[in-house]
Amino acid sequence: MPSALRPTLPQPSVTKFTNCRLVRGDSLVWEDVWVSSVTGKILQSQVAFYDEFITPDQTINLGGRIISPGFIDCQLNGAFGFNFSTLMNDMSEYGKQFRALNKKLVETGVTSYVPTVTSQTRDLYHKVLPYLAPSGSSRLASAGSESLGAHVEGPFISRTKNGIHDISVLQTPSTYSDLENVYGAANITPSASVSLPVKMITLAPELGQTTPSIIPGLRSNGIVVSIGHSEATFEEASAAVSAGATMITHLFNAMRPLHHRNPGIFGVLGTVPDSNFPRPYFGVIADGIHLHPTTVKIAWNAHPDGFILVTDAMHTLGLPDGRYEWLNGRGKDWIVKKGGELQLEGKGTIAGSSITLIECVNNFLEWSGASIPEGLKTVTATPAAMLGLKGVKGVLDPGTDADLVVLSEDISGGKRHLRVDEVWKFGVRVFGGASG
Amino acid sequence: MRFIIKNNEDEASSYAANYIINRITQFSPSEQRPFVLGLPTGSSPLGVYRILVQRYKAGEVSFENVVTFNMDEYINIPRDHQGSYHSFMWTNLFSHINIPPGNVNILDGNAPNLEAECIAYEAKIKAVGGIDLFLAGIGEDGHIAFNEPGSSLASRTRVKTLAYDTILANSRFFDDNLELVPKMALTVGVQTVLEAREVVVMVLGARKALALQQCIEQGVNHMWTLSALQLHPHPMIICDEDATLELKVKTVKYFKDIERVARAEGFDQILPSNIRTDSNLKLVPAAVVVNGVHTPPCTSPQSTASHHLLLPPSTPTTCTSRSRSPSPDFTNDRMGSRIGDPAFTRRLTPAPEQQSRQTSE
Repeated sequence: MPSALRPTLPQPSVTKFTNCRLVRGDSLVWEDVWVSSVTGKILQSQVAFYDEFITPDQTINLGGRIISPGFIDCQLNGAFGFNFSTLMNDMSEYGKQFRALNKKLVETGVTSYVPTVTSQTRDLYHKVLPYLAPSGSSRLASAGSESLGAHVEGPFISRTKNGIHDISVLQTPSTYSDLENVYGAANITPSASVSLPVKMITLAPELGQTTPSIIPGLRSNGIVVSIGHSEATFEEASAAVSAGATMITHLFNAMRPLHHRNPGIFGVLGTVPDSNFPRPYFGVIADGIHLHPTTVKIAWNAHPDGFILVTDAMHTLGLPDGRYEWLNGRGKDWIVKKGGELQLEGKGTIAGSSITLIECVNNFLEWSGASIPEGLKTVTATPAAMLGLKGVKGVLDPGTDADLVVLSEDISGGKRHLRVDEVWKFGVRVFGGASG
Repeated sequence: MRFIIKNNEDEASSYAANYIINRITQFSPSEQRPFVLGLPTGSSPLGVYRILVQRYKAGEVSFENVVTFNMDEYINIPRDHQGSYHSFMWTNLFSHINIPPGNVNILDGNAPNLEAECIAYEAKIKAVGGIDLFLAGIGEDGHIAFNEPGSSLASRTRVKTLAYDTILANSRFFDDNLELVPKMALTVGVQTVLEAREVVVMVLGARKALALQQCIEQGVNHMWTLSALQLHPHPMIICDEDATLELKVKTVKYFKDIERVARAEGFDQILPSNIRTDSNLKLVPAAVVVNGVHTPPCTSPQSTASHHLLLPPSTPTTCTSRSRSPSPDFTNDRMGSRIGDPAFTRRLTPAPEQQSRQTSE
């Protein structure tokens, strides 16, 4: 019986999920969860009941299925034909396509993400980054997936570990103002008013003044520093972590491999963590192309709490096989998609992926033998913690955002496979499910 | 006293759950006339709650018009602390059923004035017409609610200091740390429980065997407060085999025989509280005066112990089913009233059917 104290709302405002298993830390627990579409948050049901006399407007029996916090992708370059590194004559068209992408992306279970822009020209950053600023403050479920702020991958990266990035736009920074010049001061230096458009920066710590002055500067402005596209030695990487880098971009890819006399960036995960030197988080592309399954498992075993699955997907995600144009720095390149594999035409270099995050989770579960909650943690609680969003996203605790994914579990031929059945954003169903 | 012995905990719990569900169903409660249920916490009722939830989910019972009163709550722990009885009830029962939040009553252990909280709680129970069925468990020392050994058998809702035994036993809900267990609680009194029209007590496991023996085979004693149940007109104890370990074989056989016969005769569940299931009855019965014997209604109970030992405590029920009048004064009986001639039927002595009619007026 809906409480008489509450105004009648056209939509059911409080939803109770029952007969479901919740991802709680490293285990699945049989528990109910209540969400409110008014606050967009998970309710502390006991308080709601005793204090506010609230009872659910609808109860959804999930028949034993799993509820995970909404997925968070920390490296996504685009999808469904739209790449964030795109310049348009009419930039309002950019905003339109960006919003269209968000609505589609949410259906894959990714309820929030960090739109990633590769090494590009100053002009592109200035025009594009304001569009990619955090979008959650509207708390509009119908907007789909939420941007948590942009991830700028470059251009302050190593010329020899550039991957497919255009070498001609790469730079070596000497002061923080070099970054402000490239990205636009308003995008990386906070003013009193709004949240910064840029959430995360991938850079090579061995370049110029990066480690001594730029990393601490970014840190103090609340921007996550990620080591990547780098020739850093173990010592240089360790120094960067000490200076405030908390993340490693696509571990193993575009960096020196582990050598037994110089363990490189990966070696940082082997250190003994202490309060001055927390081991960094790291992104892993588990598409079956970027990394060997065993390598993924080694990374997981090295530091499970830092392990974050990322897609590094391009705009080819969700498109058929073919040849697709891509704006790369000063010129245009062509990417050839064949199945899940992307290559830069003419060079054969791997050019990102075309995989969804849930497929990465399924690969990871298959390769590592990790439990389902452990696998889901790598795309929920761990990335949320990395982005400084503990208590906001990535967990199913009361008071956090009601971004949920309802998953079915298929076990066939000894393989565990998770399928996204429903997606809820801010307490509202945005994908799947018969209306209850 | 009905004393039901089941083979194990599961059977005992499902018996109790079925009993409660049948009661609610027979009562056919409405918003104006809700079924009032008293509820305990602890390990004894867990199985009962589990089955109630299952049966609710299967659509076999609704709690929409059930009003609940909980027995007790700790003082000075946050209401939503996992060890609080608010949390216990939420986790084990209320979150799974359709009870309206406004129908739930639990003592507030953080109330600014605890005395006033207790008085208000008793008043609330009276306002809904008293408790129809009080489900209870017992402690190893035979306590009912937090009425520790030595509690007055005439006690009402009040602040109570917990016995060391109880603190030890309850430390399992507080990380086995005695320091964390609250030392005080609010609890309904023995008399509050006895005033319910029906009391159903779960006694499970060997640890409770001594308490059960004291309460069933020994006399009424404030050191085993559950023994006060002997004064109630409609008590029922449901236990498992383990809990009977201290009882005489004779006692166990006696009660098992009674139940067997009752089942064979097909009156497994007699309706002792038909006074409440009679929908014509007012919620708050007026005091009954018959031949100068003043019988107070349950809603204005007497508070002196001596009084209660004279009067069967659940007074509205006694109106219909009391077997003897309470030490009646001399009544001027006539031989003529015993003849059976309709002309002489107007009796002066109290007759049950007459009393119930008066009650309902």
